[in-house]
Parts: sequence; structure tokens; C-alpha cells
Amino acid sequence: MREVGIVGVGHTKFGKMSGGTFSDLLSMAAIQALDDAGVKTGIGHGIDQVFVSTMGAGILNKQSGIASALVDYLNLRPAMAETIENGPASGASAIKLGYMAIASGMCDCVLVVGGEMMRVVSGWEGTDFVATMLHPEAEYNYGLTLPALAGLFTKLCMDKYGITEKDLAIVAVKNHENAMHNPVAHIQVVPNLYCITEDEDANVMNPYVAEPLRLYSVCPVSDGAAAVLLCAMDKADKFNKKPIKIAGIGQATDTHAVAEREVPTDLLAVRLAAQMAYKMAGLTAQDIDVAELHDAFQILEIVESEEVGFFKRGEGHIAARNGETKIGGKIPINPSGGLKAKGHPLGATGVSQVVEIVKQLRGEATGRQVEGAKTGLTVNFGGFGNNVVATILTKEES
Amino acid sequence: MEHKMYAYKCTSCGTLHHPKHYVCKKCGNRKFDEVPLEGEVTLVTYTKVYNLPEGYMKPYLGFGIVKFTNGLVVSGQLEVECPEIGMKLMATVGVVKEGIGADYYGFIFK
Amino acid sequence: MIVDKMEQSLRPKETPMVIYPPKYITMATGEKLVIRQIAREEVPHILEAVKPLMTVEADFYDIVASRIYSELLGYYRYRVKDEYCLIGTINGILVGIVNGRMVDDKVGMSYHTMTLKQGLRIGAQLFAAKMEYHLDFLNQEEVWIVAESPNGFKRWMIEYELESRPEIWHELGGVPTYVLTKALWEKHKEAKLGGRRPVKEELLKTADHPILPETYSQIPGYKR
Repeated sequence: MREVGIVGVGHTKFGKMSGGTFSDLLSMAAIQALDDAGVKTGIGHGIDQVFVSTMGAGILNKQSGIASALVDYLNLRPAMAETIENGPASGASAIKLGYMAIASGMCDCVLVVGGEMMRVVSGWEGTDFVATMLHPEAEYNYGLTLPALAGLFTKLCMDKYGITEKDLAIVAVKNHENAMHNPVAHIQVVPNLYCITEDEDANVMNPYVAEPLRLYSVCPVSDGAAAVLLCAMDKADKFNKKPIKIAGIGQATDTHAVAEREVPTDLLAVRLAAQMAYKMAGLTAQDIDVAELHDAFQILEIVESEEVGFFKRGEGHIAARNGETKIGGKIPINPSGGLKAKGHPLGATGVSQVVEIVKQLRGEATGRQVEGAKTGLTVNFGGFGNNVVATILTKEES
Repeated sequence: MEHKMYAYKCTSCGTLHHPKHYVCKKCGNRKFDEVPLEGEVTLVTYTKVYNLPEGYMKPYLGFGIVKFTNGLVVSGQLEVECPEIGMKLMATVGVVKEGIGADYYGFIFK
Repeated sequence: MIVDKMEQSLRPKETPMVIYPPKYITMATGEKLVIRQIAREEVPHILEAVKPLMTVEADFYDIVASRIYSELLGYYRYRVKDEYCLIGTINGILVGIVNGRMVDDKVGMSYHTMTLKQGLRIGAQLFAAKMEYHLDFLNQEEVWIVAESPNGFKRWMIEYELESRPEIWHELGGVPTYVLTKALWEKHKEAKLGGRRPVKEELLKTADHPILPETYSQIPGYKR
């Protein structure tokens, strides 16, 4: 199979988009990636295939076939195009398909753009939209939401492993501190650990969303887009920057209804996806220098860090308490700020995570750089863990 | 009319399923018998949710995941003042969502 | 202004109202939000903060700002009976305004809640402070509420489980009127009401002369 690398990245400021269409949002990220790579738009752009990852284009923005629309909007015709939907893991899935398109020999150059314009609807409609990924009869019809599933999971993990609400807050504060050095992050303020946990007003200012998860343990609702330009490694010498190699990809699915999971405190799909990615890359957890782990709920960062092999089961929160996941620590996790502080436009996240790792490996992550990072891991979590995609990126030595 | 909830029993190997699947998770068979799913349950985990989706006008709702004596693990709404992991509850069936034309019935654990 | 017999006859008779005791709330970022009542003389200054929002259509800011402007002006010019206004400041900068009035000793009429600085749940705390004033300090029995913004209102309607009373006519017009009763307040206030008293002198001093915001996130590109 041909080797595939990333030669350009783009990323809009996550947050609330003021004006413009969904196509505009996607285009901003796409053009940034093309400019980063040095690809001229117009005749001779050389892009064979465009994948757009989004979960809500149809439901929230009333647009189907958004990839076909974008290809025309950017005048990349007659490039092939598809819209990819895998819930919150749409982004990583789109990158996986881009990889497959090139590795198979069918394409040389693929543009992957992920985006979401979620803030056009009210909070209740947004919650309902996200809940559509739940099991229709067993979960959605009960009024269960994604945060509700996360609450159920968190309660069990706290009971089994002794994780506390404060541990979740420690992870959140770390992510917010990281985001202060990330100009594209949605949230540019840092909550104070004491004020959100022990202060007298903490109960009111950091209320429960789905017990035991509080407001400052769940990610915000964001608009945003991110893009990567993929190219066959054997054709990647004509771009501005040296390619960052996609060394491994893994994916696994699990039961739809969370009640049917074999071990309710496990994230089996995360473990299997990571193992598959490690195998393909010929690496282990110990080889990873930096990771972006899907932390829509701060409990997920902790459990994912264990399931991908950074820490033993039940010890991830201890490592976080000891600062091992900070930048400069043993294994920096979410230097971008993670979903918690960077934001979580569903379809963009998987691509955004890869953009961050590319910047880290290139040495471009000013202010939040993990020194000497050569290998990075991303985990993009779909549904409530019933479809997970992991990617491993490496910096090639010249 | 009393509403009942059902588990789906594989006609070949007898494995119980809830919710419905098209194919038996153990032996791959595609035929199932409906067997009533009711009775005493043990609480596996619970939560109280304050941000409900569109259509729910309450300030919060309780949810729980329980285990039936036949081994099936199922989620549903929870109406318990002070839930505790491991407590014994009864599975009742009630309206869990008001629909247009028809209401949805599901488990309410008490 | 000459206060002659004509002017006097146009001024409503004021009921003595206890002053809202100032309090401070610790925000998630560690900043302190000070909430205090304003005196009548402060209205012209506060109006300057309201003015820029009177033409912002998004999120109903234009109607809320315009109505607050006229309500506060009515209070200032002695044409509205028993009105009050509470403000919130962080580091001396004005971040939010709430107002309402006493209808009689039993009923409070909530007017408006306007957040100048978004994203820190300031609106929710100012609304709660207003309810606290009516029900805990003015010792009334219920507060009548309506709202312009559907999302903002739906949140309070659900979170406080407000009683629907469509037969009552709220002064701001529009239907339906919702009511926060003393019973509902007692049920929800622990989860909703933040803040501590008394406010230390140096902290309270910062709220003495509220600084008008230089920029508004609701008005991209605006600078005072």
C-alpha cells in the first residue's frame, strides 16, 4: 500500500460564527489548508477527491450533499466528492477514507474538510440533535442524551476506581490552560480550580449537567471547521512543507445501547482502535510523544488515556492529579485545549485533532509546543463509544 | 390497557436480547420469540440530568441502568429519591415520552 | 426641575422599600461579581451602557435594551411607582442590569434582565438576585414574569418550574404571564442563588462608580 502524508492544514476559530453560510465556514478551513500546502486554487489544483465530514449539515443546516456543494463553491470540479457521517467521529473517519483512497492507488491528492454550524439552533434542539446518535427505542425515546450517558458512565467509574469530581475539574483546568496558547480555541478564559470545586458559590456557578458531571466537565457547543490536505508520500515533494506521515489508523465498533456493553466501565472500541493503529504503525503506547484524546466529557480523557495504554486501568486520574498529562509532563494530552476548551463542532473535531498533532510534529505549536515530538496519537470517539477511530502520525526523518 | 415490555429470545440458542437485534448475538440465528421483560431489578448506575432535549419541559429527569434477574442489562427512567448502586427496584412501564399521535412507553424503575 | 403642585401630582407616592443588601459571587474564573442596587441619581450613567444595544436585533437585545432604557428613565423622572434597579460589576466594570417594581406588598413585577458581558452566567445570577429581592427582602408572595427572548425565558420557565397564569395581564404586555411563587422559590433557590454577604469595603468600593464597557461582544467592531 502506498504511504500517505499530510501536506497542508487549516483551522477556523471555533466558537460562534457571525454570519456566512455553512459552505463559507468549510471554505475558510479548506483554503487555509491549500494555502498552507502551497496549492494554487483554480486550474491545475491537483485535488482528486474531497471528503467533507459533518454530522448536522442535513439536520441543522438543511443541506444534503454538502461535499458536492463545496467542490463547486471552491471550483475544484470535477474532483470526486462525498459527505462522511460518523457522528462525532466523522472527522477521523473522513481522514481514514482519504488515506484509503490514496493508499489504494485510486487518488494522489485528497482534501478532507470537517465542519459543523451547531449554534444556529437553541440549546434544547442542539441536545436533541446530538441525542439522535443514541439507540432510538432503548435510549432516545426515553429522553436520554449524550451527557446523560456520560453521567451514567462517570458514576460507575467513580464508584469502581475512586475518581472524584475534583479529578474531572483538574483535567478541565489543564485543558483550559493549554487553550490560552491556542488562538483558534473557543474558550479563552481559564476557570479557577478552587472556584469550580470548593468555593461556596461553586455549586451554583458550576452546576450539575448530568450528575455527577458538572458544567465545567463538559465541552461547549461550537461552530467551526478544520481541514487537512493528504497526498501520496511519493508525490509529496512539491508542497511548502515536508509531509507528516499517517503511520497508523485503527477503528472499532461496540454495542449501540450502552446498557449492552460487556464491561460497563470499559471503552472497548477505544482499546481495539488504538491497538489496531499501533499494529499498523509498528509502535506501542510508549512510543507516543503527544496525544489528542476526545474529551467531550472530561471522564473520557481519563478513561481513554488508560484504554490506549498510557496508564493502567484505574490510574489515569492519578496521573492527571500528578500533572503527568500536562505539556512538559510524561505524556501531554490535549495540548490544543481538547474538546473542552478548544470546542467541539462535531464534524470538525476529528480533523482538528489531526491538525494539532501535525502542528506539534512540525514544531509550529507556539506557546504549547511539546518539545521534540515525533509521534502523535488521536482518538476520535463516535456515539457514546460505539464507533471509535484512532490515528497515529509520525514525523519522518529526512 | 396495560403496556408490557419484551425481551427477544433466540429460537435456536435461547440467548435473550433487549433491545431488539436482527441477528442473534451468539449463534447468528434470525428468529426470536417475545418474552415479557418485567420484575425485580438491581441498579447498576444512575444519573440526574438537568439539560433535557427539545420537547421535555421538566427541570430534570432521573435515569438508571439496571440488571434483571435473567441477566439482561437495560436503561430507563428512574423515579427514586435517593438512588444507590446495588439497590433493588421494580420495573414498571409508563409514558416516557409524549409523542404526536402516540406516546412512547418504556421502563420506569421505582 | 421645579417641583410644583402639578409635578407633584404626576409623581407616584413611594412605598418605603428596604435597600437590597449588596453581595458578591465568585465566578468560575475567580473574579468577583458584585451585585448592588442603584440610586435614582445613577440612572443617567447606567443609560449610557444600555444605549448601544438598542439597535442590536440579534437575541432581542434591541427590544430589551429599549424597554430597560424607558423603564429606567421612568424611574429617574418619578413616573413609575416603586421601581428598583440592581446592577452587577466585575472589577468595577458594569456587566449586567436587572429591574422590576413592587405592585403591592404581595406581588412583584419583574421587568428585565440584560447581560452586557456574555458567557459567565451573569444573567442567571442577576435574575436570581432580583427574585431574592422580591421574595426574601421585600417579603412578597410572588413575582410575575414575562420575557421577550424565547430561549432565555424557556430556560427560567423550566429551571424554576414557573406557574403558568395566562389570565393575568403583565405590565409589559404579551402573554402568557408566568409566576414565581414563594413555594417554588424555596424549592429552587438553593441550586440557583449564589453569593455571600457582607461585601468587604474595598470590593464594594469597586462598584461605586461602574465603568461603562468599552466593547460589547454583541456589537462586533464597536468601541465606546
